[in-house]
Amino acid sequence: MIQHLVDGILVGSFLSLGAIGLTMVMHILRFANFSHAELLSIGAYCALVFDKLFESVLPVLSTKFGPLSITGALAVSILISMAVTGFTAVLIDRLIFRRVRQKGGELSMVFASFGMALVIRNIIGLVFGLSSELYSRDIAFAMVLSRDPLLLVKPDQVFVLFAALIIMFGLYLVLSRTTFGFSLRAIAENPSLAQVHGVNLRRMVAAVWIIGGALGAIAGVFYGLSYQITPVMGRDLVLPIFAATIVGGIGSVYGAVLGGFIVGVASNLAPVVLPSGYSPSVPFLMILAVLLVRPNGLFGEARA
Amino acid sequence: MIGIISYLVFFTTVASILGIAVLGLNLQWGNTGLFNGGVVASFGAGAYGTLMLGGPAQDGHLGGFGLFYPLALLGGMLAAGVLAWIVGKLTLRLRHDYLAIATFGVAVAFENVMRNATSITGGAQGIRGFERPLRDVLGDGFTYNAVFLAGVLVVLLLVYVFLERLTVSPFGRLLRAIREDETAARSLGKSPDRIRLISFVTGSVIIGLAGGLYGTFYAFVSPQDVLPILTFQIWAMLIVGGAGNTRGALAGAFLIWGAWTFSGWALSRFAPVEAQLYTGSIQFVLIGMVIVGMLLWRPQGLFPERLIVSQPGRNREKTQVEGFT
Amino acid sequence: MKTLLTVAAFAAGVSALSTGAQAQDCTTKIGATLPTSVDWGRPIAEVAQFAVDQVNEAGGAAGCQIEMVLRDTQVDPKVGVDAAKALVDLEGVNVLLGAVSSGVSMPILSSVTVPGGVMQMSCCSSSTAFTKLSEEGKTDGLWFRTFATTAVQSAMGAKVAADKGYGSIAILYKNDDWGQDMARLIAADFAAAGIKVTSSVAVNDGQPSYRAEVTKALGGEPEALYLALYPNEGTSAVREWLSLGGTQNMILANSLKSDEFRDNVGLQYLGNALGTDTASPRVASADAFKTTYVEKFGSEPNGPGLANSFDAAMIALLAMEAAGKDASGKDIAASVAKVTDPDGTPVTADVAGFKKASETLAGGGTVKYQGATGDVRFDANGDVSAPAVVWKFTDSGVDEVEYLSLGEVDAFIASLKK
Repeated sequence: MIQHLVDGILVGSFLSLGAIGLTMVMHILRFANFSHAELLSIGAYCALVFDKLFESVLPVLSTKFGPLSITGALAVSILISMAVTGFTAVLIDRLIFRRVRQKGGELSMVFASFGMALVIRNIIGLVFGLSSELYSRDIAFAMVLSRDPLLLVKPDQVFVLFAALIIMFGLYLVLSRTTFGFSLRAIAENPSLAQVHGVNLRRMVAAVWIIGGALGAIAGVFYGLSYQITPVMGRDLVLPIFAATIVGGIGSVYGAVLGGFIVGVASNLAPVVLPSGYSPSVPFLMILAVLLVRPNGLFGEARA
Repeated sequence: MIGIISYLVFFTTVASILGIAVLGLNLQWGNTGLFNGGVVASFGAGAYGTLMLGGPAQDGHLGGFGLFYPLALLGGMLAAGVLAWIVGKLTLRLRHDYLAIATFGVAVAFENVMRNATSITGGAQGIRGFERPLRDVLGDGFTYNAVFLAGVLVVLLLVYVFLERLTVSPFGRLLRAIREDETAARSLGKSPDRIRLISFVTGSVIIGLAGGLYGTFYAFVSPQDVLPILTFQIWAMLIVGGAGNTRGALAGAFLIWGAWTFSGWALSRFAPVEAQLYTGSIQFVLIGMVIVGMLLWRPQGLFPERLIVSQPGRNREKTQVEGFT
Repeated sequence: MKTLLTVAAFAAGVSALSTGAQAQDCTTKIGATLPTSVDWGRPIAEVAQFAVDQVNEAGGAAGCQIEMVLRDTQVDPKVGVDAAKALVDLEGVNVLLGAVSSGVSMPILSSVTVPGGVMQMSCCSSSTAFTKLSEEGKTDGLWFRTFATTAVQSAMGAKVAADKGYGSIAILYKNDDWGQDMARLIAADFAAAGIKVTSSVAVNDGQPSYRAEVTKALGGEPEALYLALYPNEGTSAVREWLSLGGTQNMILANSLKSDEFRDNVGLQYLGNALGTDTASPRVASADAFKTTYVEKFGSEPNGPGLANSFDAAMIALLAMEAAGKDASGKDIAASVAKVTDPDGTPVTADVAGFKKASETLAGGGTVKYQGATGDVRFDANGDVSAPAVVWKFTDSGVDEVEYLSLGEVDAFIASLKK
């Protein structure tokens, strides 16, 4: 029981990272972006490429940090991948979403994003093959935290959790303390008014995509580190990430973080209560339960 | 030549069945503005309901009542309607992106129950052994398919006429009024919640009818038939065809299903042998691009909603397309 | 042995070039509906094409070169059925290979191939529903599958556990028709063999994490783990299992006989892992498939459904050869018995074997096809039974640990039923 709870929190950490980007995009651009989880795939594969590259060029970098399976090469690759994924997100927006936005409505955006998800996922499958990949084939064994009740935790997961919490805190500071953060909020509340006050909408939209892409890349790499990288990981992750966003309330970064943890814990506790065949439904039952009590999610605001 | 006709009959049957489902969704979204992300739950309820009621008795799972076919089909529709009523009661007051995800979740849960509740639904193996109606008389071949297509087209026509009538009726105006401005509708003494629920249930029953016909045509249904991809396909048909326009919805069904299957055929025919193994992925890329391309080129759909003016001569100035607001 | 085979294959190839060239102006199409857009589906299609290539090298079937028209099913029944219908109506195929998922094969069977009188041969659809459908007389003898019934797999799993002396075992199974069947059967077989099943946990496709499922299976502290999974989720689940300190005593269904699984889990952890599978017969030429496969792809044919897919294509083509030119789907289906006759001339699963089969059939004889999955023999319902083998992973692929003839398998299954 306690094991499931701890596992849920650890799983929740990368769901939260993914959900932060999604909630910002959904809030500012006002559409449910079904291709958001593909940014995680792009990030994971991009880091994989650079990781392999660095390891072959500079073998020094392939030593691991302590009990973690992260190497120097992977650490550098994550940074590169964040940048690449962020700019890819901006590029996709410039090429596709902005044009759709100008001509069509919210629903056009939703379906354009669904179409883009299909395109990205299958291009990755064509380039990298459909089999799964790993950053490191070594199995990172879990540490026994307690014997009774049995509690096992993998070092990588603890690292991922803390890294995620630090990143979230950093983002919180940026959003709550800087002019940039205020501009972003202004845009979300009232785009026209914000523009009158000299906020550059295009630049802000690009910034949101970069943040979303970069966080997505980290989430993707963390996911790959804990499990495996496949071309369809975006498809598998999109629903839990949506669930986290909705439970937290669209537009609320804190909500997304909390939502991620709630969904993580709920899906890990599910097999305790229900036959495990039913576990895919659990995030949705969570959503339904939350929405019945709070129709705009835990931290969401009603919006016309 | 006979091959081509036989294939076209088959294709048209499936496209028409999907078309019926698109019409049901059009009532929900196009006319009422309900973002139903769980189309496949209604579709599945119709298919499972029909096959369980109309099929022969089976070991190991519920159903097999061998009901007279039209009754079985009605039962399937009823199942879809009841499910929609419960879901609607719970979720229709949500804002539409929340509504979409909530209904989507219902569909995932539906698939899950079908997959796991082996003793009721046959589990992952699905329900087989259904005797298609009139098979004794018509055999299994081309004649059967042709007659079945005729039947499907009749149903499609009935649904079409029903919805066209509904759209121009006072009730149809009321639906659009709620879609456009709920507060205004409420101020006129209408009850948006009730009207929305009626529209949601009616749409779902129509989608369930499509599901029932689908299960009948394949004489089989399994959890693989009720995966979320179907929801996406039906929505893509509506968006490409033109939400709010009955004819557009139908055109979208044929167009998207045509593109979906034609791309596979064309690739198997013209792609070089070395590329054959990759055509599956390439096809998905193409499908994605077609949808994105359509949205870039004609976001209001091929046949945008026409504003129906109930009293000619007034409101002429309001010619703007209403599809998206 | 290997050189001899190569020489034989080479000689066959040369003679095919010299003698086969006359009657080669025509092309016969066969259809294949396989999920090429799915990770485990693409290799299955690849190996089917490989079988077709070999037959063409041997001079084609029924006097014509064979062209396999491949369509993706996207694991979507609608798409698969439409593809099958297009293959039958537009390309005029009489033989259809596929599909993989039972949920796609079934509607193809009931709405395309049976009404159209086309023979359908699936490599991998395992659902017991097909047997029942056939018993009800609804397949017209047009349905075959080269996937040995799950009963053999599960009995072998129980035998391995009993032989190793495991007292308790946990089951992780894929939550689809095959996995649900496996889980049900093996739980019964374990019970019959006196082994306690601590938990039986369904693993759903496409979940972001299998941590919860694994933790649940660990809960009963079993002595061993039985896995009826595919390589993708199998890798994820087993890595999780091992990292949480789960036992390395594992029994694997044949779907995990995959290099990808071995490499991604790590051979060092698979020392106590034993797999079960249907087997090639104990004859000298039985490795033909493996040898030619290694030559072509550079690795052993390890992966779910590869050997089955090869046999499906090969038997279909042999049956076409036996049925002769311009045969209908029903004729071809009826000829399957001629090429899988237990009393026939044994032929191997390669170019030379196909040529030998052609000669035998031309002379009015019958053939015993010794395929990649063994002496394939269909019963009246199109189901196959085969000898069984227990295997383990090695550096280069897999090694056989134990072989059981068809008789021994049947005897063991019977002993469980008591």
